[in-house]
Amino acid sequence: MNRFVQSINVNELIRPLGQLMVFSLGSAIALSGIALMLALVLDQTAVGLALQDKYNVTLYTYTLINLPQVVIDGLTIGFVYAAIALGYTMVYGVLEFINFAHSEIFAVGAFIGVEFLIAMDSSGLLRSASIGMSYLLLILAILLGMVAAGGLAVTVERVAYRPLRGASRLVPLISAIGVSFLLQDVIRLVEGLTTGDFNRIFPSFGNFDQRLNFGKLALGATNINLGISIKSIIVIVAAMLMLIGLNYLVNATRIGKAIRAVAQDRHTASLMGINVNRIISITFLVGGLLGGAAGVLYALKFTRIDPFVGFFPGLKAFAAAVLGGIGNLTGALLGGIVLGMLETFAGSYMGVFTMGAAGSEYKDIFAFSILILVLIFRPQGLMGENVGQKA
Amino acid sequence: MALLETIDITKVFGGLTAVNKVNFKLEPGQIVSIIGPNGAGKTTFFNTLTGIYSPDGGEINFNGRSLLKLRPDQIAARGISRTFQNIRLFGEMSVIENILVGMHVHLRQSPIATLLHLKGFKNEEAEAENKAVELMHYVGLRGVGNELAKNLPYGAQRRLEIARALAADPLLLLLDEPAAGMNPQETEDVTKLFRSIRDDRGTTILLIEHDMRVVMNISEHIIVMDYGEKIAEGTPAEIRSNPRVIEAYLGRGAVAGQHEEKLS
Amino acid sequence: MISMTIRQLFEQINRGYWPYAIILAHIVLGTAMVYSTPRSSIAFLVLITSFFSLYYFKADIRFKIIVGAILALIVIPIVGVRNIFYLEVIFQVCVFAALALGLNIVVGFAGLLDLGYVAFYAVGAYLWAFFGSQQFYVLHFAPGTQPSNLPFLLPGDAFYLFLFLAIIVAAFTGILLGLPVLRLRGDYLAIVTLGFGEVIRVLANNLDKPLNFTNGPQGITPIQRPTMPETVVEWFNNVFGGMIGHKASTADLYNVMFYFFALMVIIVIIFVTRRVDDSKIGRAWTAVREDETAAIAMGIPLVRMKLAAFALGASFAGVMGVLLAASRTFISPESFSFMQSIGVLSMVILGGSGSIPGAILGAATVTLLNLQILQGFSLYLSELRQSDAVIPLINFAWRDLSTQLDPAKYQRLLFGLILILMMIFRPGGLIPAKRRKRRLASDQATAEQ
Repeated sequence: MNRFVQSINVNELIRPLGQLMVFSLGSAIALSGIALMLALVLDQTAVGLALQDKYNVTLYTYTLINLPQVVIDGLTIGFVYAAIALGYTMVYGVLEFINFAHSEIFAVGAFIGVEFLIAMDSSGLLRSASIGMSYLLLILAILLGMVAAGGLAVTVERVAYRPLRGASRLVPLISAIGVSFLLQDVIRLVEGLTTGDFNRIFPSFGNFDQRLNFGKLALGATNINLGISIKSIIVIVAAMLMLIGLNYLVNATRIGKAIRAVAQDRHTASLMGINVNRIISITFLVGGLLGGAAGVLYALKFTRIDPFVGFFPGLKAFAAAVLGGIGNLTGALLGGIVLGMLETFAGSYMGVFTMGAAGSEYKDIFAFSILILVLIFRPQGLMGENVGQKA
Repeated sequence: MALLETIDITKVFGGLTAVNKVNFKLEPGQIVSIIGPNGAGKTTFFNTLTGIYSPDGGEINFNGRSLLKLRPDQIAARGISRTFQNIRLFGEMSVIENILVGMHVHLRQSPIATLLHLKGFKNEEAEAENKAVELMHYVGLRGVGNELAKNLPYGAQRRLEIARALAADPLLLLLDEPAAGMNPQETEDVTKLFRSIRDDRGTTILLIEHDMRVVMNISEHIIVMDYGEKIAEGTPAEIRSNPRVIEAYLGRGAVAGQHEEKLS
Repeated sequence: MISMTIRQLFEQINRGYWPYAIILAHIVLGTAMVYSTPRSSIAFLVLITSFFSLYYFKADIRFKIIVGAILALIVIPIVGVRNIFYLEVIFQVCVFAALALGLNIVVGFAGLLDLGYVAFYAVGAYLWAFFGSQQFYVLHFAPGTQPSNLPFLLPGDAFYLFLFLAIIVAAFTGILLGLPVLRLRGDYLAIVTLGFGEVIRVLANNLDKPLNFTNGPQGITPIQRPTMPETVVEWFNNVFGGMIGHKASTADLYNVMFYFFALMVIIVIIFVTRRVDDSKIGRAWTAVREDETAAIAMGIPLVRMKLAAFALGASFAGVMGVLLAASRTFISPESFSFMQSIGVLSMVILGGSGSIPGAILGAATVTLLNLQILQGFSLYLSELRQSDAVIPLINFAWRDLSTQLDPAKYQRLLFGLILILMMIFRPGGLIPAKRRKRRLASDQATAEQ
């Protein structure tokens, strides 16, 4: 026990927390600044006048009132993206392979967690649950989602990817797309056969829907409510714990060292006595665990899930991983937070700023535009190193 | 005028200077070898010449014009062809097609002529095919035109790579360890082939090679690299007796006299 | 072992006059079956597979061309008009075969995994949908609010012009997208093309404001078709009326017409693909696919060659888009989803990436599986639900089966299985691509000496 405590590297536990703070604050301040500046500029134009006409509020005030909520929403979804992005980045770092089915691993995690809670709900346990009990059940749901998703990820790797190792790059990718499609319909089939409905709702229990209000900020004639829903806090805290745990696993443990060795050079790692297949399985397991937890958290936050729920979060998380520099854990965090923020800002303000011509309906393709821009102008991502091309 | 001239050419990877201020000149019609220990920067130097890497400093002039800022395919079109250290043939293509790919820059028929099989297109393709067969025979491959490149034995693959490089009618042929993995007989045969390429076609040849029999046998000029720098150059005889070269190969404090058997 | 004996059997039969007899018997049998049953998957399969006996058996090339032409141009229209269901199925097969052939250029020849291929199909479809309908005058109306008596912008015969325009516009779109992204490595390119496909779909869904270009999720209708002279309908009825058994309507003949157009596009694609593949461009594509570094060292301009493949593939999809818009007279963003792109990809992979007959076989198989087998299974299940049947042993009444279980909707399962199984067990596809053998007279002569 003592040795175990000694072996914990405190630095590795604190460092990611600091990074998270910096990334969150940095992107929040930068984007808020941009939004407010745009609002000031547009206030005297037709855009501002239209808003004044409609709601009797200046564009600047409107932007300011909404800002706290936008930042919190952006942060919450950003942390979910970050948790999914870690799964992509882990696998990519080790195998240089885009695990296209990761989005469905995420979806399976969400379904298992939600189905568990629905079963608890119908047994009456949820309604009578105390606050402590409801947290326990939520944690249990998250753990179940993680186990299912992790197991699935390992199985998928074993069945659909491992036989294709060594084939040209696109072969396992095509297989992964196949797995992704197959899993979507398998979820639909299983749900359709067992429950008759494949749109599932996260049951409402505990105090997760409540809001914590910190108070009001008076700003001239208007008051800004400062508050955050408990859901969002749970999502943020849980994601943080996962990120810290992963960071610790990769940077401060033996398994982490082996994972990094395999990522560097699979052949040499195997010569050093590392069981490469086992390490690759562990990599998929860890990615799946994170994805499954993110799935349940996503369901908690957005309530409704369907078999295709993984598609867009998955793609956006991939975009986030590339944005941060694929293969780089810290980059995945940064990418997730920045992308979540950008997307929420765009979704909230684009409609007003463009007078309704282009609004939140474009937020799903926002991530793609960023992905394309990053790949063209900085393919190594924000935090990636520019490695020389292999000849 | 020199066919190829590099002035202070430099390539840096991270903190490692793989090629450091290399100056050298190549006269037309010469056969020149680059030698040096593993990791001396020879292949990086080739990759910089052919545009796979863009140099971090210096100047490359080929045939009177600068090669900087050109893409690898444009450099190839200017007349530099190469082979690779670890054979890179198009494995799923036939032998003839591999050679035809080498002719890419010389085939000029328009898409319209291609679609309609106009006379110009048919003539050009037939001519190209004949030339490809000739080249195949020239490097010593016979009756294997329709074989897939990946099914050829190792030595034949090396020859095919040379034929593919020659198909572009290059002014300069870069050979990256062309005799690696060959037995003495094969080595002797390809050495003859290189000399006849230069004699028959006037192609200038620059090769990287570890096999000193080949190097000393055919080179008119030798450049020695170590730690990314050019440490010596001269005729084979001069190189053989150059103390810096001996040091690079055998380490400091090597007894003079030991080197003779290694280098000859 | 078993495949060995089948091959031997095939070779036994495949000589002399046997092939001719088998091909003709196959066609006659298929025709008779389709002629006599109104909606039978099996009959249709027998008829459609006769193209494959035509392809596989050894026979004189002129015989093959003539029989194939009679089958495609006379037999199928007649039985198709007789049972319009078949014509619809074969039209769909043709549309997807054309798309698969187009995607095959990008994926199979150039080795670029394009996951947003139907975006170009959408570009063609919306091009004609906008100019060939009243949409131009709807620009200032929100969806559903336009007056009903708006004029058409262009006459229906402008369709022919737009077939060519679509080639240019789609190729241009392909180049525009390709220029920035074709430098990317293969797997990144795949994701970016996926993103592009989604962008096009989202645009189609949302460009009903500020100006109403696409009419949003409701889609654009009616879209015009080229004119069909009454005399053609009369002529058709006079000549074939007896065999068809009822009077063919203008609508029937439109179906025949679009089937012919699709067939024509397929023939053009095959022609172009084969010619290009057999030139320096095709060789450059293969070289790039095999080894980019070696290809570029041989003087092949990487980005330009990839762009050529991208633009060529895109232009074929564009033409098919125009054809689809006109034949359906209605289009909506739903037809251009990511699932459609993967569907076309699974056709190419199933048939054999880089193989022309493979792409056609893949398109035919997947379309039939979709249209016939899955839907047939759906029908069968709903019949079972209506009945009192019970699964023995587990004592499960069919009527308790969830109505959510509708096999016709499980296309993703089908596409997913195809992609995984083919990658693992037969990555070359059902009909792997073959490289042309050259005669090489001068090489052979010396080899034999």
